[in-house]
Amino acid sequence: MKRGLVLLDSAEIPAEEWYGRVAAVQRELQADGTDVGLIYGDVSRSDDIAYLTNLCVYWNEGILAVPAYGHPVFLTKLSLRVHSWMQLISTVTEIRSGRSFAELVAKFLGPGDGGTVGLIEAELWPGPVAAEIRQALAGWDVRELSGLVRARRQVPSPAEVALLRHAAGLLVETATVAAAPGLTDRERIAAAERGLRGAGFLDVLADTARTADGVTSVRITGQYRYLWLQASRLADTATAAWPDLLRQAIAVAVTAAVPGATAADLHEAARSALDRLPAGAISDVRWVHQADMATNGEYADYPSGLPIPAGSVVVVGIDVRFADGTHAAVAETVLAAADGPVCLTGQPGATGAARPIR
Amino acid sequence: MTINHDGTADEAERSLRLSRVRAAMAAAGLDALLAFAPAWRRENVRYFTDAPVAGTASFVLLTATDADGVGAFSTRRADLDSIAGRGWVTDAHSLSARRVSALAERLRAARPARLGVAHYELLPELLMRQLVQALPRTEIVSATGLMDDVRLVKSDWEIGRIRRAASVVDAGWAAFVDVLEPGLPEYGIVAAVEAAIKGLGAEDNFMLIASGGDEVRGMTAPTPRVLRAGDMVRTELTPQLDGYWLQICRSAVVGKASDAQHRSFDLFNEAVEAGIAAVHPGVTAHEVARAQNDVFRARGLGEYCTSQYTRVRGHGHGLHIDETPIIEGNETELPENAVFIIHPNTYTPIAGYHVLGDPVRVTENGAEILISTERKLFEGAVR
Repeated sequence: MKRGLVLLDSAEIPAEEWYGRVAAVQRELQADGTDVGLIYGDVSRSDDIAYLTNLCVYWNEGILAVPAYGHPVFLTKLSLRVHSWMQLISTVTEIRSGRSFAELVAKFLGPGDGGTVGLIEAELWPGPVAAEIRQALAGWDVRELSGLVRARRQVPSPAEVALLRHAAGLLVETATVAAAPGLTDRERIAAAERGLRGAGFLDVLADTARTADGVTSVRITGQYRYLWLQASRLADTATAAWPDLLRQAIAVAVTAAVPGATAADLHEAARSALDRLPAGAISDVRWVHQADMATNGEYADYPSGLPIPAGSVVVVGIDVRFADGTHAAVAETVLAAADGPVCLTGQPGATGAARPIR
Repeated sequence: MTINHDGTADEAERSLRLSRVRAAMAAAGLDALLAFAPAWRRENVRYFTDAPVAGTASFVLLTATDADGVGAFSTRRADLDSIAGRGWVTDAHSLSARRVSALAERLRAARPARLGVAHYELLPELLMRQLVQALPRTEIVSATGLMDDVRLVKSDWEIGRIRRAASVVDAGWAAFVDVLEPGLPEYGIVAAVEAAIKGLGAEDNFMLIASGGDEVRGMTAPTPRVLRAGDMVRTELTPQLDGYWLQICRSAVVGKASDAQHRSFDLFNEAVEAGIAAVHPGVTAHEVARAQNDVFRARGLGEYCTSQYTRVRGHGHGLHIDETPIIEGNETELPENAVFIIHPNTYTPIAGYHVLGDPVRVTENGAEILISTERKLFEGAVR
């Protein structure tokens, strides 16, 4: 649940960059002949909206209306009393509240002669909301658009990379505390919450999994501003030999996360370590854009041959299911830089770790 | 997760739920019900599975008869272990949001003439298209209201869970008061509270906060604002334990409270007590809200109960944080064993936005307050 710090800081991302993002989307709308692009978000998945405005849909749902010319307007079911806060933490100057998205959109577009409205990433809109809007916009051509904002989010800007590096440092520190030997599962999760929310993370999702031989996987996913990171560590490993193999596997998978690499390439790199895991263990090696971590990549299309784009930041993870049905997981957040991968969440000096933070 | 290991009681609860839902399905003319859980509305999938799920999209499919059993589906592989481990649904499958093959196969086998989808209103087009493709001749309708109605009245088993959540709520508030001191940013308070309640097994939490003086108009996510002596710090704190959410609303002053802050507390406390006094089996949400608002109106402060400020005077609790709203105009009846919070939270010029409220259960004798935290204006030491 999003209940951490929401902050708009021009020292982190300058105003020109925010306006440039909106302008880039507007250029696409103009080229496509679309008068207004609509972006839907809810409390669990609103990073397109945050990318363009820094708005946090901390509860319920909202729609960002991006006209081909002019300023974006946020349409929400949230009450009027949060408008001033939303304006304070975002670049949006106009927010409109109402009980129905169809009414809000129709009122925003006004009574004119119609035109073209695009539902951005239409396939992820709630069907009934999209239908309601189509019905309310008689005289308008309502088009389904692709995930054009998501596409822009996949390669972070230098300012975003700087934020990710800073956040990664915080995550590394907290993960070290949370994965200390001898803690209970609850203590590990409490440590993750204390460390990351206390350092200004917006959202923290921490979970643990324990194998029959007592090894605990501590997986922490965090959202800093609107950017996502994940690190998963193994704790209480003294009773088993396989954790070192899994650490080797993630280290080489991270090293293989060069621009153009596929999930199969990462798996192949990790194979020699994974093949030596206990008999019956099944390993899944994957990568997910940090930009898709709100959904863990589960709504995106990740065909097996999809290459990692140059300059993207991705989560590289290995999940292992042992023959007895228990699990272990390791993961790192990696910048796929043109001159080689940088493990943002790597622990400097750790065995088999990829290059530490530069 | 803390699990009730009383297998007999668990099985009785599971059977009760299935029979309640099937009775509602029969009344609504549904041959099958599909509970859809997007990441922020998982209450119906939890109702059937009693297992925490983390998938971006998960489902439970229930047909009108026992013959086809109950199936669960999730986009997150780990959910299958969680669901199977709990044992309420043993037929669990993973699926890709782009190819819901296992679910489509089950739907085709069930061949419902009329399918109800709980959270139909939130079903993404991507998934909707695949459902329609699997069931081209089926009438698909919303079953969101049906499930809301089924979950409104809590069983004794659920009340037991809610009472355990109440102890985490009390501990969360204690942690909140304990950490208050000048110089602490609002998000630092949240970090301390989160650590405390997660250490007690809370799965999640919903929390809003505001600090400052009489200029405060409402609560939001935490800001970098640092506390000062004399600030009133307001929160609604809503931990989730074993699936069940329960809320406390309180305000605390950093240091000694002013006369205005005390007067504000007295007003809001009177409104809470009026809401509590209105509770009886069958009371409507409207009546509970009106009882609270009348306290403000009697003092010429009625405008602060309108949509220009805050109209909601509480909301139901259970497997979702925010079940039926306690608001004037909502004629939903609240039967015995309905659980909701009474909170007249709003702005007044007396001392700014004030937050105060208790979660209650409807009993045959009126309201039972579910938490132990004293209803008072808390004052923190200035260390």
